[in-house]
Amino acid sequence: MTRLQFRVLYQQFLFRTVDLELLSASAQGDSVKLLGQLAALLAFLSLMIAMVGIAVGGGKLPTAQRLAMSWGMEHFLLSTTMLVVGLFAVLSWESMFPDRRDVLVLAPLPIHAATLFLAKVAAVATTLSLTVAAFHGFAGLIWPLVLHPPDSGWLGVIRSFAGYWITMLSAGTFVLCCLLCVQGLAALLPRQQFLRASSMLQLAAFCLLLGVYFLQPSMLTPEALTAPQNQWQLAWLPSYWFLGLFQILNGSPHSALNPLAWRAIVGLAIAVFGAGVAFVLSYLRTLRKIIEQPDITPGARGGPWLPRFGNSPITALVQFNIRTLVRSRQHRLILSFFWGLAFTVVILYIKTPLVQKTLLNAASTNPWRQVNAPLLVCSIVMMWFAVIGTRVVFAMPTELRANWIFRVTNLNSLSDYLKSVRRSLFSLAVVPVWMIWATVLLWLWPWQQAARHLIVLGLLGTILVEFCLHGFHKLPFTCSYLPGKANVYYLFFGYVTLAVPLLNRAAVLERDSLLSSYLYTLVLFALSIGAIGARWRTMTLAQSEGTELRFEELEAPAILQLGLYRD
Amino acid sequence: MLELRNVRKSFRGIVAVENVSFLARAGEVTGYLGPNGSGKSTTMKMITGLIEMTSGTILFEGEPIHRDLIAYKQRMGYVPEEPHLYAHLSGLEYLVMVGQLRNLPSTPTAERIDGLLRLLSLHGDRHVPISAYSKGMRQKVLLIAALLHNPELILLDEPFSGLDVSSALVLRSLIQELAARGKVVLFSSHELETVERVCSRIVILHHGRVVADDSIERLRTLMKLPTLEKIFSQLAVEQDTAMISREIADLIQA
Repeated sequence: MTRLQFRVLYQQFLFRTVDLELLSASAQGDSVKLLGQLAALLAFLSLMIAMVGIAVGGGKLPTAQRLAMSWGMEHFLLSTTMLVVGLFAVLSWESMFPDRRDVLVLAPLPIHAATLFLAKVAAVATTLSLTVAAFHGFAGLIWPLVLHPPDSGWLGVIRSFAGYWITMLSAGTFVLCCLLCVQGLAALLPRQQFLRASSMLQLAAFCLLLGVYFLQPSMLTPEALTAPQNQWQLAWLPSYWFLGLFQILNGSPHSALNPLAWRAIVGLAIAVFGAGVAFVLSYLRTLRKIIEQPDITPGARGGPWLPRFGNSPITALVQFNIRTLVRSRQHRLILSFFWGLAFTVVILYIKTPLVQKTLLNAASTNPWRQVNAPLLVCSIVMMWFAVIGTRVVFAMPTELRANWIFRVTNLNSLSDYLKSVRRSLFSLAVVPVWMIWATVLLWLWPWQQAARHLIVLGLLGTILVEFCLHGFHKLPFTCSYLPGKANVYYLFFGYVTLAVPLLNRAAVLERDSLLSSYLYTLVLFALSIGAIGARWRTMTLAQSEGTELRFEELEAPAILQLGLYRD
Repeated sequence: MLELRNVRKSFRGIVAVENVSFLARAGEVTGYLGPNGSGKSTTMKMITGLIEMTSGTILFEGEPIHRDLIAYKQRMGYVPEEPHLYAHLSGLEYLVMVGQLRNLPSTPTAERIDGLLRLLSLHGDRHVPISAYSKGMRQKVLLIAALLHNPELILLDEPFSGLDVSSALVLRSLIQELAARGKVVLFSSHELETVERVCSRIVILHHGRVVADDSIERLRTLMKLPTLEKIFSQLAVEQDTAMISREIADLIQA
């Protein structure tokens, strides 16, 4: 009986790994599709990395270059594995430990806590293994061949394979266990405080993972790894520890990396032990607490005041959108992902040699204090990510079955509803970014130039908002969501990759225009025409015949299938 | 007056409601009864305009509701079967939002919400997120949201679900009071005793078809049965309930 219980629970926990609340009720059946998409994305990345391995492996490199290349690649693979596993753990935060639903459903059943515990641990371990396997499916076949020590023969290749997979799994396990430890410690708090802390911790973990991945310094030479001034940084960068471990397992240890390898082993042991303790405490202590304590503490005061945004229905909708975004953990997390990406793109852009050269060549002693293209690009990139991110979050529903109230009170025209979405996008994306940049630019630049760019930024924000409203004939958070639509995001990232270099050119043009009234008038005129045109296009589409507010992403088919098939 | 004429609804070829016709008059409470899956909630959703009928007509005050659905929705209040609400909002925030969506004037609506919250014993919890509300508290929020705009047509789908005894008694009286003030009240419930006390007229649905449409008194006389429960059992319960219960007991003992 216990074995059967374990199997059933294991299957349930495994398929609930991803937070399915993000999906609509009608799309929940597509959880397998969503997981398949994620696996396919990871496998695609793996294939790309494997192809680089084939290209590099075929070439003959001098020893020093080969060492730099192999350390660089190993470090990239390790830190990316840690990032992928970390992000997966953050996204499946709720399903790592038993939640209220688990307890309410399973507690009345005659199931031992140990069975529950083991099923949960097995599901988490499987998730980790599958994530690592999907990401290294192709790369893990090619790179061990490239990275094995020269002249080590077949035994060396086999050792390289084993070392590769053990290190990648260990690195993933380390990140996962660290996050489990943090969550387990937080679970010792009273339930309500845990829920509050949980969303903050999730966000902090998310920022930490992205920040470390993109901003960690490169120390991939024996000199950099042994330099005394770098030792304290290395002590806090686990990707370097596992680089050392890989070199030892691979059969090519280096004196500079050996202390790091030991750090990896000790760190992994502590993390696994900590996660184990967190799980045991959770099952011994938290299970009862979940039932005894309500999820949310009753409040005694009113909610925060929000201004009016137009007539009553528009105000209701904008306030609903703001409250939902502020209070929904899942939506906040996805939006913070976009903000995180914006900061990452901005930092990476500033670190490019081209920008560094531009800043060095600046006439002033402090290049940021004069009108410069990099700062213009940064503000536009942040506006872009904030608006698109908010639009993506708007498409994801919350409490989908509660949308009946909007259907029953659907008393206004589509253009009124569009107004509410437009004002929501402005309130949640355009205005915050604009205000941040107003503060920065008015502090750094002469006010005339700063004001001129702020007008341009506002117009760009308006154009972006109208672009996002194109075909968006639904209310934020109320329409069902289909995972397949995520293809749009891949396209979006493609656009960003292409757009940033183009943006640099445009920013140079704008920088020149900020110093010339004639050119600035032309730029302003072009942008105003763009904004008016985009607005006209959105409104025309909304007013066209047959266009109505949608609550289902998938339209009802015009022709029904009877499903009569011959076997 | 609400009138349904030959209303039919099918989902992918499966008929949920077939040729349903009945009248619900102003000033009386019409009970809408039927076993699980008989099509009650489907009919209710068609009357609210949430789902479209396959064929037939629904008229309110002689006008097809789809001729001007927006104007119709302004005159209609609806308590759905399931208390689906936005749990991240507080009770007060939710009700203010509904008032704004219905374009009601802000100050009188705020006063009305405040009064209704006090009368239904929710005032102390008005700032608490709905996620922390009990089922009965959620039901009260739904009821206030349905009555906030003083609708002429009130559709109540299982409104007593989760309510405590005193709130249920208040609601029972309220339904009669609203009907007495000239509202059209269509009331669907499985609690036959309450229906018998509250409704002047009933419509019984079985397998998506109307099998009875008359006053309770007349049905009692015509069918020579003493209670609504007996009438309902005869018209809409096909199974021998005593035999089924015996079989269940036998099965779990086997």
